[in-house]
Amino acid sequence: MPMVLLECDKDIPERERHIYLKVDGEDTRDFLPISNAATIPGTLSERGCSFCGAKLVIGGVLKDTIQMIHGPIGCAYDTWHTKRYPTDNGHFNMKYVWSTDMKESHIVFGGEKRLEKSCHEAFDEMPDIKRMIIYTTCPTALIGDDIKAVAKRVMEARPDVDIFTVECPGFAGVSQSKGHHVLNIGWINEKVGQLDAEITSPYTMNFIGDFNIGGDTQLLQKYWDKLGIQVIAHFTGNGTYDDLRRMHKAQLNVVNCARSSGYIANELKKQYGIPRLDIDSWGFNYMAEGIRKICAFFGIEEKGEALIAEEYAKWKPQLDWYKERLQGVKMAIWTGGPRLWHWTKSVEDDLGVQVVAMASKFGHQEDFEKVIARGQAGTYYIDDGNELEFFEIIDLVRPDVIFTGPRVGELVKKLHIPYINGHGYHNGPYMGFEGFVNLARDMYNAVHNPLLKLAATDIRGETATPVKEAAE
Amino acid sequence: MGCEISNKERAGVINPMYDCQPAGAQYAGIGVKDCIPLVHGGQGCTMFVRLLFAQHFKENFDIASTSLHEDSAVFGGHQRIQDGVMTLARRYPELRVIPVITTCSTEVIGDDVEGNISACNRMLKEEFPGRKIHVVPVHTPSFKSSQVGGYSECMQSIFKTITTAKVAPTGKLNLFPGWVNPGDVALLKRYMGEMGIDATVFMDTESFDSPMMPDKSISTYGNTTVEDIQAASGASASVALARYEGATTANYLQQEFEVPATIVGTPYGIGNTDAMLQAISRITGKSIPESLVKERGVAIDALQDLAHMFFANKKVALFGHPDLVIGLAQFCLEVELEPVLLLLGDDNSKYKKDPRILDLKAKCTWDMEVVCNADLWELEKRVKDPAYKIDLIMGHSKGRYVGIYNNVPMVRVGFPTFDRAGLYRKPTMGYAGAMELGEAIANTLFTHMEYNKDREWLLNTW
Repeated sequence: MPMVLLECDKDIPERERHIYLKVDGEDTRDFLPISNAATIPGTLSERGCSFCGAKLVIGGVLKDTIQMIHGPIGCAYDTWHTKRYPTDNGHFNMKYVWSTDMKESHIVFGGEKRLEKSCHEAFDEMPDIKRMIIYTTCPTALIGDDIKAVAKRVMEARPDVDIFTVECPGFAGVSQSKGHHVLNIGWINEKVGQLDAEITSPYTMNFIGDFNIGGDTQLLQKYWDKLGIQVIAHFTGNGTYDDLRRMHKAQLNVVNCARSSGYIANELKKQYGIPRLDIDSWGFNYMAEGIRKICAFFGIEEKGEALIAEEYAKWKPQLDWYKERLQGVKMAIWTGGPRLWHWTKSVEDDLGVQVVAMASKFGHQEDFEKVIARGQAGTYYIDDGNELEFFEIIDLVRPDVIFTGPRVGELVKKLHIPYINGHGYHNGPYMGFEGFVNLARDMYNAVHNPLLKLAATDIRGETATPVKEAAE
Repeated sequence: MGCEISNKERAGVINPMYDCQPAGAQYAGIGVKDCIPLVHGGQGCTMFVRLLFAQHFKENFDIASTSLHEDSAVFGGHQRIQDGVMTLARRYPELRVIPVITTCSTEVIGDDVEGNISACNRMLKEEFPGRKIHVVPVHTPSFKSSQVGGYSECMQSIFKTITTAKVAPTGKLNLFPGWVNPGDVALLKRYMGEMGIDATVFMDTESFDSPMMPDKSISTYGNTTVEDIQAASGASASVALARYEGATTANYLQQEFEVPATIVGTPYGIGNTDAMLQAISRITGKSIPESLVKERGVAIDALQDLAHMFFANKKVALFGHPDLVIGLAQFCLEVELEPVLLLLGDDNSKYKKDPRILDLKAKCTWDMEVVCNADLWELEKRVKDPAYKIDLIMGHSKGRYVGIYNNVPMVRVGFPTFDRAGLYRKPTMGYAGAMELGEAIANTLFTHMEYNKDREWLLNTW
């Protein structure tokens, strides 16, 4: 079965190359959806912009850093209160956002002076904060404001502050993915290697591509503490600016989200010779495998086995309780990209759930290679899916639950399909052993929500759903 | 005792109060039936605004993007406007209106929106003879005004494009409530119904609070039709309830089609609602019915239990849309709350001369500060300042951490209120809205007293 042209796409036939239905015996040498390509205007794509890929996804996670957004007010407003990444210092990162609030005169005459003034104001208003990231946006990139020069001037005037610049306007690239790349490469080239690290353990690593969604980083940190592994830097969950300047001091780079952060791991290998180890942090089998790989690297296999045994004893019975009750549940995953391949096999193996359709907003070719290799036959694999396609796919595969964002969640609610927040989680964390029990619990509560049966009931008795079923 | 009107002194913004113009334009656009706004800019300008609406209403709204990429930034985004319009027209056969909303990037690039729309119109005519799609140019560069102005701009652009001829008199009343919740639209429709007035609310967003139905049908869209917009030129009068949101469209209809326009004070609180109903009664010749006199009485009765016992001398900080903040301040005065801080979040120079602010200035017997072009850092600084002793914050959810981390009770009102359930369904306007609001304030203060064990025993016998 080759690529699929959906009925709703008959007027945009190029979409056929982005949607694949896997059949037994095929693999990615036969068919691979086009990905990381320009979006067709007017399709109601789910994609965001590259600015948000840099600011909202990676930079804005840091718990001690001013995020100065050089542009009109909307870029700041819109990347505030849209993420769930707490920190252990009272969520400084979620409480505040900064903007130069560019107006027409600054567009005409240049905004560098305004940026410089805004930087000083921000440091003056928050005297305890000494770190900043400055981002360009569409208009300030178009008019050519030199934010690096401004950052240099501010650092000269304030010797105790350090500023990083990200030049990644929203129109760059085709999705948020471009922003991940720009921030990764800028950081390794400009900031890594600047600070020394206090080494407290013979085993040191960076944990890369985990953004403390719902407390993921903090949960996994308990494992590393038990194993006696020192995490030099978290890129960037619950992380600090200065820790990220010390990334070169680690012995190993452990990568969870390869899409958003694989770049910096590759550069750390190239520039500093630090090996890269990719793991999956969601799911029992995967997490255990990840811990085993990390421990094998450091030669502490026994510690690893002890931790896994302890965690299995504690959480596996709960997972199995849910697994028994989730058998055969049909799940769709419509998220950014990597979670497709992180989750498809883990929910299948650990929970008995069948993933019937997966859509990626910004995944690249390697993400589709991974997900098609791991995913099942009979499953749809979609790049940059749009709203009409989702309706049609839902009709084709009839999922019981969809892991996606809140807005799409509200849409599928009308179709009586429950959603789980596949970005920020319903009640996370979802990583690690405990986290996967949380995921299973949220999925169980979603598919067993009694309201779904009530919603399907027509009290005039005109639907196929008998009223007595709702009362079961 | 005095009232100081100032501007934020800082150049930059820490925690903005409003989103940018294109966001407001998108909100006006989704109020129209069979309409999908097409935002000409980067994808984030659409994706995040859709998320914002979804957060507030817990609903999905359809908004498209031209998905501006690098090549367009260099060579112009003309083709993407045309591709976007044609793709929407082909895939959505019911579609009748496409506002093309510009952003900062496409205004800086200088794409010829009108020229591209002309090209689109030719292509649409050829490909879809007999089907009329109104493609509306909406110029909303993000570096001007704010979501408040963007809402107004898009509303006016839609009328300028669609309301092109004076139709036969309809005897109807055009009602422009501004950027309000479905609960307010429902209330206004009910009031007009009770007065026996045939009114059209622009935009009719009542069904933004939409059901889960057994047949899985989706009705989450605006109900203002192309016909409603065209018929606005034949209305007997227009009444605008928000000076900064929609009044320009009422004025446009007056200038172009001699539909007399009246701007009344935004009907927050008893007095403003009285004035609105009296004005509408005067304009239409319809009398105010007993049912509304009774509703008014019920509201005053409820507020009477609260005002001098619990509300008096409480210092209130207000932030949000200008018409809302001013209206709330007037309401505060009615129930003996003391508005000490009014924050208006953009650089519109008209706020300082707003007669309602001047009236507040004359009436208040305590120090009141109005900060224009304000951000929520201005709020946070004053809430932390012991000299202010702010007892209550009223505003939208973007200010939630100021309340939470400073242990100051906060009533959610305005847009967005994503951290409270169901507020979009409740009216804030009218007598019922004043009562809802007063009771929300009281219950918030009561909960605060209980959690802080601060004279919570007062309520033992209330």
